[in-house]
Amino acid sequence: MRKLPLDHPGTAAHGSPGGFLWWVARKQWHTLAIGMLFGIVWMSAQAVMPAVIGRAIDEGVAAKDTSRLAEWAAVLFCIGLVQAGAGIMRHRFAVTNWLTAAYRVVQLVTRQSVRLGGTLPRRVSTGEVVAIGTNDLSHIGQVMDVAARFAGAVVSFVVVAVILLQTSVTLGLVVLIGVPLLMLGVAPLLSPLQRRSAHQRHLMGRLSNTASDIVGGLRVLRGIGGEQVFSARYRRESQTTRAAGVRVAQFQSVLDALQVFLPGLFVVVVVWLGARYAVQGTITPGELVAFYGYSAFLMIPLRTATEYANKVIRGRVAAARICRVLALEPEVTVPAHPAPSPAVGSDLVDTRTGLVVHTGRLTAIVSEQPDDSAVLADRLGMAASPVDDDVRFGGTPLTALDPAEVRKRIVVSDTGAMLFSGRLGDGLDLTGHGDVRRALRTASAGDILEALAEGLDTIVAERGRSFSGGQRQRLVLARALAIDPEILVLVEPTSAVDAHTEARIAARLRDHRTGRTTVVTSSSPLMLAAADVVAFLVGGRVVATGTHADLLDTSPAYRRVVARESDPDLETETGELQKSGGSR
Amino acid sequence: MRTHLPVADGRAVRSYVGSLARRHPRMLYGALALHVAAALAGLAAPRLLGDLVQAVESGTTTDHVDRIVALLAVFLVVQTVLTRFARYLSQVLGEQVLAELREDFVDNTLALPVGVVEDAGSGDLLTRTSRDVDQLGWSVRMALPEWTIAVVTAVVTFVAALSVGWWVAIPCLLGVPPLVIGLRWYLKRAKDGYLRESATYSQINATLTETVEGARTVEALGLGRRRIEAVDDDIAASYRAERYTLFLRTVFFPNMEIAYLIPTVLTLLFGGYLYTQDQVTLGAVTTATLYVQMLIDPVDRIVSILDELQLGAASLARLLGVAQVPDDREVSGREPEGEHLAADDVRFSYVEGRDVLHGVDLDVGVGERIAMVGPSGAGKSTLGRLLAGIHPPRTGSVTVGRVGLVELPLDDLRGHVALVTQEHHVFVGTVRENLVLARPGSSDADVRAALAAVDALDWVEALPEGLDTEVGSGGRAVTAPQAQQIALARLVLADPHTLVLDEATSLIDPRAARHLERSLAAVLEGRTVIAIAHRLFSAHDADRVAVVEDGRISELGSHDELVAAGGSYAALWDSWHGRG
Repeated sequence: MRKLPLDHPGTAAHGSPGGFLWWVARKQWHTLAIGMLFGIVWMSAQAVMPAVIGRAIDEGVAAKDTSRLAEWAAVLFCIGLVQAGAGIMRHRFAVTNWLTAAYRVVQLVTRQSVRLGGTLPRRVSTGEVVAIGTNDLSHIGQVMDVAARFAGAVVSFVVVAVILLQTSVTLGLVVLIGVPLLMLGVAPLLSPLQRRSAHQRHLMGRLSNTASDIVGGLRVLRGIGGEQVFSARYRRESQTTRAAGVRVAQFQSVLDALQVFLPGLFVVVVVWLGARYAVQGTITPGELVAFYGYSAFLMIPLRTATEYANKVIRGRVAAARICRVLALEPEVTVPAHPAPSPAVGSDLVDTRTGLVVHTGRLTAIVSEQPDDSAVLADRLGMAASPVDDDVRFGGTPLTALDPAEVRKRIVVSDTGAMLFSGRLGDGLDLTGHGDVRRALRTASAGDILEALAEGLDTIVAERGRSFSGGQRQRLVLARALAIDPEILVLVEPTSAVDAHTEARIAARLRDHRTGRTTVVTSSSPLMLAAADVVAFLVGGRVVATGTHADLLDTSPAYRRVVARESDPDLETETGELQKSGGSR
Repeated sequence: MRTHLPVADGRAVRSYVGSLARRHPRMLYGALALHVAAALAGLAAPRLLGDLVQAVESGTTTDHVDRIVALLAVFLVVQTVLTRFARYLSQVLGEQVLAELREDFVDNTLALPVGVVEDAGSGDLLTRTSRDVDQLGWSVRMALPEWTIAVVTAVVTFVAALSVGWWVAIPCLLGVPPLVIGLRWYLKRAKDGYLRESATYSQINATLTETVEGARTVEALGLGRRRIEAVDDDIAASYRAERYTLFLRTVFFPNMEIAYLIPTVLTLLFGGYLYTQDQVTLGAVTTATLYVQMLIDPVDRIVSILDELQLGAASLARLLGVAQVPDDREVSGREPEGEHLAADDVRFSYVEGRDVLHGVDLDVGVGERIAMVGPSGAGKSTLGRLLAGIHPPRTGSVTVGRVGLVELPLDDLRGHVALVTQEHHVFVGTVRENLVLARPGSSDADVRAALAAVDALDWVEALPEGLDTEVGSGGRAVTAPQAQQIALARLVLADPHTLVLDEATSLIDPRAARHLERSLAAVLEGRTVIAIAHRLFSAHDADRVAVVEDGRISELGSHDELVAAGGSYAALWDSWHGRG
């Protein structure tokens, strides 16, 4: 077996779905070829089985020749062994082919997601990409999996047809023409069945959603009641789904019955012709038994052929989705000739808003529209769309620099930042040499760690779900602090924590970042009071800069924005506040 | 603090399956009888072929051949018709049983004690709702009927083979030992192996989903390398799990093939030998060989579907387990006198021996507004839950009108105290459905009045279909503040005299909070309110402020009193106003 995962999934041809499938197949052609070889041996062994039994009956049993009988029984046994051996090898290669293709798809999509970064969610719904991981990988895998059996099916069909043609041209033609016709006989049933099945699946999906919805909202229901309403609704939908299932059964059962009837009819025709030949003495009784065997066997390669056609159709749909994702290009591009990196301690300036971030300071951004500060924060770290040239680092536009260099020196940690699953210590210490304990203290997250029996070795659940919103936010902050970048941009780092904790974080953040450059967007007085300088944005321009106290004194607009956070009564108290702020 | 929901044991599963069978005796036995009849009709072909071979051997006419083949065709038609109805009936039965099962499960889920839902989290329950119901559906729809048919066919075919001659039993029985040994070996390992395997795919998915949804974070923090390694590690784990199950099959499949091969070869040999001894006819040897070959397919299906059935049974056990959660409240039947809410020396622990509340006393006056403030993890939310009757206290009591909250039936409890958290789930369904769940049978006028009270009637009426607009996952998206308003309107309909608000307006845009506060004020009008405050401004408005620190109420009094007292509340208030 091969080594998986692959070290490099390669660069996929994503021009067309067919092209992609072909590329995947070419990448693993040797295991595909060996799988096909075993598939051919395996099915051919099954195909000659009836012939051997027929000969055994003729030459051994009917002729009453015990030694010939023993010989043929031995041959039968050996072919059985070959079939078993080839069968399991075929299966092993089929699994390898499935896995190689499916894993390659996951690797390709992961690498592409990483390459696209922030561009990805803007260009394609995340559900679409996630669907690749849940469904599409298996469809691509199956195309490769069934390929080996399909090869066996084609060859064994030809083998049987040749055997039959040699015995009787009429019988051979009946097989060669009759069998495909039988398959077509089922076709008219398939499309209504598929429609009804699709409808049933749709209802099942909806029913499952309803149940998940109930479970998801169970705590709400527990707070306020309404269980009967939901029980009744679920029952109603469940019964609709059941009815749809019964309608599927009406067609499905006919199809099942036809699966008995059509091959059976074929057997009847072959046996009838064979028996007449046998009476005329054209064929032996053993050959008659063999004919019966062939006609039963031939259903297998035919079913495989239909299955393969189905898989290829589904595989193409899956491949189309994968191609769409693989064809995307990131918005942030690496310049052909990156400008030299600015000296350490260079200021970060945004010409569009007029914001100047002085080195070594804690700068807070407050905006009349909270979205404006978030966009500005993103732009400072080249994380906004579209990418622009207005942000200059030591005079050089960010876009002229190597993006990797920019990300190393300027780190943006936004409110929605994801806390990834895995060992907590690893998730917090991204550089491998960060001072996590100190960062956790600053983020006032020590209590979170204390509550965990395993401490930093705790395994974080998917998306950090095991933590509350406030806990996640503090951990995300600690993670950003532990990176200890030259410039750290924090977007609303304390929006989900309580006032006690926010006060502590604000006080510690300044000490923690002494000598380094920090930008914080926030409209909380606790955070603003801790900043060295506050920039106030109105209509996308910086209209005032100064300390929190200065701005409270001098800017009524600023007072209004900051007071929103606060008690409505506060507006009447601002006079007093101004005095106290000014006396600082 | 996380507990797991129980899983039903084998006996409970068997007795449930038995009760399902007893509920539908006619369909069940009808389907079985039809399957037996269909299998019997299917047995005609080898017998008739044997007759043909015999006839050819001893010399016959084409007329005789035509008659036999015509008979073959008749049996085929009979088998086809019987199969149609047998399959139909068993699928209808399957759908019926499945519907009952999932409806029972959802009813049991809805009856789960509040504390259990809180503790176990929704993850386990959600897995059971989606994955286990799906797995069971698959088993009942596909695996179970296929398996039953295979068993019926195998038994009937074996009996038919025996009817050719007693000697056929010998080669068949010789195939049994390798079959049984192989099967036992395989089944003992298969379930865990396949469960592990499917878990690795969930893991790949989870990692991929995180990478995709967190693509921005990945880029901003330069986590690309790590994410690629994480996925590759998941793939490596999946590959290990796959290799294990592949190993199981590599042993098991050839073992089965040989177990099938032995009877065929031996029947031919043994039958041939008997024929040379003139003990049996050529037709009998042919028929016997064909019957034995015919046995392979149903036996193979019996064997290969078994692990699928195992998984189905495991899912069933998990679904039934939900019904086994004991109720955590004992209805005493006592009626509360009045609306006075009181906590007396309340202690509580999620984990034995680790109290998070250490003797809390709180007397809430009727119509009073109390704000609870304090650092994260101090026990505010826990105290809030106890005051809402979600958890019973470990020691001490929480009473309304001198009756313990956990002595009240759930429906009555909600008429007294309701808990509103920051979770504002909008259910899939119409706006109306989202509201009336709080008071089934409410008229449209009631619903409109409730919406108007929370200032939400305008935007609801502006929706394309007003109250009939579908919202929730898959429906029309509502904003977080709108969802919060829906939650508040539900409260207006439910009309409890006391409300516990646990950070009910946090996680909401500050701009919207202001608007929501007006909605909230309408709901709070005339009720007793305990608000767990996230931001200080609501504390300022309260009649009394309770500062919770380290599982105790450390300060209790009006805003002005506490500010004057100069304790931790005063310190915070100062820093809030930039005096710090």
